[in-house]
Amino acid sequence: MAPRLPAHCWRQLALRPSATTPTTAAAAAVTTTRPSLLPNTQTRTVKTGWSTLPPRAKPHRFNQVTSGLPAPTAGPAAALQRKARTTPVRAGVLAVKKGMTVFMGRTGARIACTVLQLDRVQTVLNKTRARHGYWAVQVGMGERNPGNVGAPLLGYYEAKGMAPKEVLAEFRVRDQSGLLPVGVQLMPDWFHIGQRVDVRSNSRGMGFAGGMKRHGFSGQEASHGNSKNHRTIGSAGPSQGSGSRVLPGKKMPGRMGNQRVTIQNLPVLIADNELGILVVKGCVAGPKGAVIQVQDACKKDPPPQEWIDKSRKTLEERFPEAEAHLQAARVRHMELKEARREKRIAELMAEGVRPDEEHADAIEEILAASAKEDAAGRAPAEL
Amino acid sequence: MNVAPLVRRPLGCLKASLRRTRQQKSMFTRHMASEASQTTTTTRTPPPEHGFFRLNDHKTKTLRSAFAVYPSTTVAGANTLAPPPVNALQALHEAQIKRMDPTGARTALFAKTREAAKVGDVLMVTHRRGGEPFAGVCLSIRRRGIDTAILLRNHLAKVGVEMWFKIYNKNVAGIEVVKRQRKRARRARLTYMRKPKHDFGSVEDLVFAWKRSRKVFSTGKPAAEAAKAKAKGKGAAAKKK
Repeated sequence: MAPRLPAHCWRQLALRPSATTPTTAAAAAVTTTRPSLLPNTQTRTVKTGWSTLPPRAKPHRFNQVTSGLPAPTAGPAAALQRKARTTPVRAGVLAVKKGMTVFMGRTGARIACTVLQLDRVQTVLNKTRARHGYWAVQVGMGERNPGNVGAPLLGYYEAKGMAPKEVLAEFRVRDQSGLLPVGVQLMPDWFHIGQRVDVRSNSRGMGFAGGMKRHGFSGQEASHGNSKNHRTIGSAGPSQGSGSRVLPGKKMPGRMGNQRVTIQNLPVLIADNELGILVVKGCVAGPKGAVIQVQDACKKDPPPQEWIDKSRKTLEERFPEAEAHLQAARVRHMELKEARREKRIAELMAEGVRPDEEHADAIEEILAASAKEDAAGRAPAEL
Repeated sequence: MNVAPLVRRPLGCLKASLRRTRQQKSMFTRHMASEASQTTTTTRTPPPEHGFFRLNDHKTKTLRSAFAVYPSTTVAGANTLAPPPVNALQALHEAQIKRMDPTGARTALFAKTREAAKVGDVLMVTHRRGGEPFAGVCLSIRRRGIDTAILLRNHLAKVGVEMWFKIYNKNVAGIEVVKRQRKRARRARLTYMRKPKHDFGSVEDLVFAWKRSRKVFSTGKPAAEAAKAKAKGKGAAAKKK
């Protein structure tokens, strides 16, 4: 029995004499009213694209896919937000452990402390959310013979306008306000006396150590029939019935030490610019001469905001030429880079690089461009 | 042969260059404002000074590439970058000693001189927090700058007692030499004095005698007052040795 259709459907079908009789209601529904004189051209084909989804509206602020939904709890933005509370607002410094001594107080207090020395600590790079995915300041310390630096890094320091550094390290900061001018020197007075810092370093390497030394096992007895097993670890687990296997993570002999160790919340006792030293309370992992990373403690309040502003201002007063120097170095780097690519670095070295006038013009252009970018509310271009 | 593009080409070039000039016209025209700003920007940064580091080809020994290397003193446009002092730890020790011992009496008492106190001497330490002064034989002097300490051994109630004292600590009010050893000790640390054979025993009678003799030579000041004066300044105490 043929399906019973409403009268208007029959009427439509009657308009199309050439059309075959539809057998189902669905087929009847897709057919549209069209004057039979015009050719039946399909608007939706494989070529033009075809989808069963409802037609998409023009993107608008109220019809976004995410409109009305809560902010995602996973992903880069969510991760940064999650870690914001434990990310320090300021960058840290690199230092060398010089040794331990005591701090004698006026009231008879005697505090064991570690002396850290800042050896020509300079900021090298600002890492930005837009370009690198997070906010951080790269800091370098010491001096390295250019002969011991690879060509890529030589080019890197060339663009920064600074001598190759012995060590580079990165300090995450909370947001843009933590970024620093590139190339400036960070002195011990970067830290506030009494503030808490987190100190990171590699611990002393102990080599291959047994279970007693590495994990504090008790060892075995000296007598009562024990034979040649006084410091061995003994059993590594239960036998048949429990799988006859060693469970993952079983504490065993192995390499001990030389791991990254963080000591949290050490108070700063002394910060002396002349000696270049920073004295923190307590001990710090690693031998004398170890490279230490010092940054504001992530689980304590940062130093007072007035202090932060003041130290930032001091930094800018000490190095007013920082931005201009960096731009000049960048211009020189681009010239030399081009020369290297075109294999004419030898001639350039012989005849000298571009004259001063042109160089200054190029720097001014770059500075003007970056000023324009700043005015537009964007972060300055990072090299 | 298709000559049409060749014929058309100069025209196209002209058109493009005209378009470019039209766009650049605004850049080249000088306005009053731009002229004013030109005069203000007088600071011209000189190109930074640097040397070159050459990378030579291993086989031909010819220049392969070169990189600008800035002097190690360069810091953000200045030449003030210098390595920190090597003996920072020692300087810190000296600064702290100067702060804790302005008169230099404590340093002098344990310096490596003839007049200074030595191991084997009987010393008496007065503590600022009150309590009985502790006297005993000096078994060792551990020299660690500001953390320099002495080890005294005595017998209290027939039990051997040893105590370490940090000589620069504010809690140590005074150190006095009760009795000097007749012969110089031939060891740095007299740990053998812990053995019964060599044990010095109690120094109580020595201290008692020393106090009595001091009272004889003193100007008749009451003992309590004298003790107070002694506790006040280490300089005075050190002179009495």
